[in-house]
Amino acid sequence: MRLKIIFGFVAFCLLLLLIRLFYLQIIQYDLYHGLSNKNSIKIVPLPPNRGIIFDRNQEILAQNYLSYTLELNKHTKINIEETKNKLANIIEITNNDINNYKEQLRKYHFYDTAPIKFNLSLVQITKFISQQHQFPELSIKQGFVRHYPLGHSSAHIIGYINRINHQDIKKLKQRKVLGRYLGTNHIGKSGVELYYEDIIHGTPGYKKIEVDADQEIVRVLKIVPPISGKNISLTIDSKLQKIAEDAFKKRKGALVAINPNNGEILAYVSQPTFNPRLFTNGIKQTDWDNLNNKLNKPLLDRVLSGLYPPGSTLKPFVALAALENNIRTPPFSIQDHGSYTMPNGSKTFNDWKEGGHGTVDLIKAITVSCDTFFYGLGVELGIPKLNKTLRRFGFGKKTQIDIHNERSGLLANEYWKKKRFNQPWYQGETAITAIGQGFTLVTPIQLALATAKLAKPDITFKPHVLLSIENTIDTNQNKYGKGIANTVENSKYLDWVKEGMQNVTRDGGTAAFIGKNANYKMAAKTGTAQVFGLKKNQSYDEQSLPDHLKDHALFIAYAPIENPKLAIAVIVENGGHGGSIAGPIAKKVFDAYLEKEIRKND
Amino acid sequence: MIRRYFAALDIPLLFLILIIILIGIITLFSASSGSLTLIGSQLNNVLIGLLLLIFLANNHLQKIIYYAPYLYAFGLIALILVNVVGFTSHGAQRWINLGFVNFQPSELMKIALPLFISWIYHHQKNKNTYKIHFLAMFAIFLPCFLIIKQPDLGTAIMISFSGLIIIFLAGLSWRFILGSLFIGLVSIPIIWSSLYTYQQNRVLTLLAPFKDPLGSGYHTIQSMIAIGSGGSFGKGWANGTQANLSFLPETTTDFIFAVYAEEFGFIGILFIFILYFLALYRIFYLATKMQNTFSRLVTISLGIAIFINIIVNIGMISGIMPIVGIPLPFFSYGGTSMVVSLASIGIIMGLYSNKTLIAN
Repeated sequence: MRLKIIFGFVAFCLLLLLIRLFYLQIIQYDLYHGLSNKNSIKIVPLPPNRGIIFDRNQEILAQNYLSYTLELNKHTKINIEETKNKLANIIEITNNDINNYKEQLRKYHFYDTAPIKFNLSLVQITKFISQQHQFPELSIKQGFVRHYPLGHSSAHIIGYINRINHQDIKKLKQRKVLGRYLGTNHIGKSGVELYYEDIIHGTPGYKKIEVDADQEIVRVLKIVPPISGKNISLTIDSKLQKIAEDAFKKRKGALVAINPNNGEILAYVSQPTFNPRLFTNGIKQTDWDNLNNKLNKPLLDRVLSGLYPPGSTLKPFVALAALENNIRTPPFSIQDHGSYTMPNGSKTFNDWKEGGHGTVDLIKAITVSCDTFFYGLGVELGIPKLNKTLRRFGFGKKTQIDIHNERSGLLANEYWKKKRFNQPWYQGETAITAIGQGFTLVTPIQLALATAKLAKPDITFKPHVLLSIENTIDTNQNKYGKGIANTVENSKYLDWVKEGMQNVTRDGGTAAFIGKNANYKMAAKTGTAQVFGLKKNQSYDEQSLPDHLKDHALFIAYAPIENPKLAIAVIVENGGHGGSIAGPIAKKVFDAYLEKEIRKND
Repeated sequence: MIRRYFAALDIPLLFLILIIILIGIITLFSASSGSLTLIGSQLNNVLIGLLLLIFLANNHLQKIIYYAPYLYAFGLIALILVNVVGFTSHGAQRWINLGFVNFQPSELMKIALPLFISWIYHHQKNKNTYKIHFLAMFAIFLPCFLIIKQPDLGTAIMISFSGLIIIFLAGLSWRFILGSLFIGLVSIPIIWSSLYTYQQNRVLTLLAPFKDPLGSGYHTIQSMIAIGSGGSFGKGWANGTQANLSFLPETTTDFIFAVYAEEFGFIGILFIFILYFLALYRIFYLATKMQNTFSRLVTISLGIAIFINIIVNIGMISGIMPIVGIPLPFFSYGGTSMVVSLASIGIIMGLYSNKTLIAN
């Protein structure tokens, strides 16, 4: 009897065990199968190569070079000091490196390891590998480092990449493309690197490997190679760009050179500039502070984000607004004695030229930049009609160029002022708006686009910097930037304005010296924009003012007048007089570009 | 002559056990990544064990009864010696170096104790006196105490269990059993507090292995992963990733059954379970055919010892029992375990083949 009880117990226990094993192997198979694979199968992402950026002549603007970094596993709890001492004879780690490592770990997102030493030499790598068993927490990673051969030049248009930070991760998650960044450490942050990120980043591949308990690779199960990002070419001409940058001679400002026939940006200058290499491995806090705290703001992309009063460069567009509303149509003329008094006698505005310009019609008013003529014109025309025309030329709104962070400028009016300052609009403000000195603010890209529209009214292209994407079947070269409506009509009004602008570079014009010694004819307009309002009885004395309060010098032009090939807008901050400071910069760019063009056509 | 030696063997039981041993060796090949040294060594263990089995099966029962107290005394002395001159391995002092082999007295006690307890009851006419029961219990307590000191809790529990089974079979009253069970349950907290921290940890690990997956729960989890990922049909011989990529600990000894489960799946497990079940059944069957108390008690006790080894080992690798270093009988790599297990079978066969002798 007791024997049977015992055997029953034995059988019962065996059955229980069997049920347990059944549960593990059959019921929970999926769970343990997954865990087993997770144990032994690792997916190693293979990041893609970032596409190369060329200029229009296949000059390299951004490329990659192979580099080796020493990386520290962020999950292991180790004493960095100890590792540093142990490593002393192999790879020297400085306190700076350690601080940098900690800073990066805080600021950016890393999967497993973060770099502690960059650009290892072959000797360092060899030494380390022979001692690697001592440092399970360290590994050498091979990767591509972004290199910008031009350095400071063109930095704003090319932009830069930076280490992926926590915000980037969040954004990528939202866009559901985080998977494309597995194994990738960098992401475009500004300029073309940012705008065309999706094209030049590429698609990662992966390596499926079997590892043992020590994480040693046993064998490779599968390789899916990454797909490199596409190489792209930009519309800019880096040689022309360099000429333009050099012409600034360390002055602050911006220059945009655009082909009025197709919207291609040929030069895109924002001075001062910065070295995009500083960002490549995660910018150091000190460098970042340096760049941001500088009074001259090198990181600011003045072409798109710099807001400037247009000064007299606005006059050709104001003139066109008047003509379109049948005001001041030639041969109408005024007698300019050097000042303009408001119709109600409330205020008198001076012309820039003491004693005035004598008999002035609309054409001459542009040529000599007669303020008196435009004061009266503005007051009679009124802000709504003026702004309507200006808007058609692209002022007061974004040009939608293919670079981010563009600002829309400002076409001020009564409502805006009420909202902004809770003050009424005074008629005197209309008068100074007509000479580009009111609240109106423009960006250099807007000014360049408006000039291009004067040169080629039937332009239907947005300004753009992308020329082509490698291996893209569509051969329509002019595809990029296509798609804006024709907003300006070719008319006899336009001819009058153009005539005025052509005369600017002739004898008697405000930039007559620019037109001398030129093999082509240029239509232009100079501008000088006050940075601050002079008080009554205070006269502008360029010598005595501190630099940052000096007038901005502006210059817009296109050439040749018969068949415009290039339109340029130049702003030199605190440069003083537009014609003499900004004009020569534009001239150098025209010379370089048009001479080449002429040679090409011969 | 040779035939006479084989006449004493119970062929069905031997056949079942040889199949289990064969499967064990096949699994060992995979678990040791094809180490021929280990296979050879295990074959050597099996050979020694089988020779001992044949020898014991042909021995006269009286001799065994006669030797039982001496064997027990020898085991006790060896256990005391182990605490004095034994050497430490894996944190426990269990072995004595005899020069040619490392001897583990607690393994010897697995056989000596049941023999001795059975001997006590065999020599008493009025079996149901409490005096005898207490004597038997003291005989269990002594070696268990020494083994716990090593410390080797698992073996101590197993030995005491196989001893207690004999007391139960000898006719201990139900009232006493239920009373002891009650006292046992009440004394769990006291026993708990007297355990070493690592022993406590093992029990805790069992209750929640995933709480500390890289610490004390690691072995249990890896073992459960190995078993679970085997599925119905297994990953195939020598294809177990858990085993071959060294995620599993002690693949050749304590955890060999996890390797088997991973590579041969539930089908393989079912097969092995049937073999073990049939072998145990055969042992119980033989016991019922025996004429005297001593034979029956020894047989059941030895069968139960094998059974407990199976339960504890498989319970451990499948995560329902604490991790105690107990090999799987006839399956795990290791000399002592194999030889002692085969010797137990030899004793059972010896008792069976001599049943008529006893009857007289």
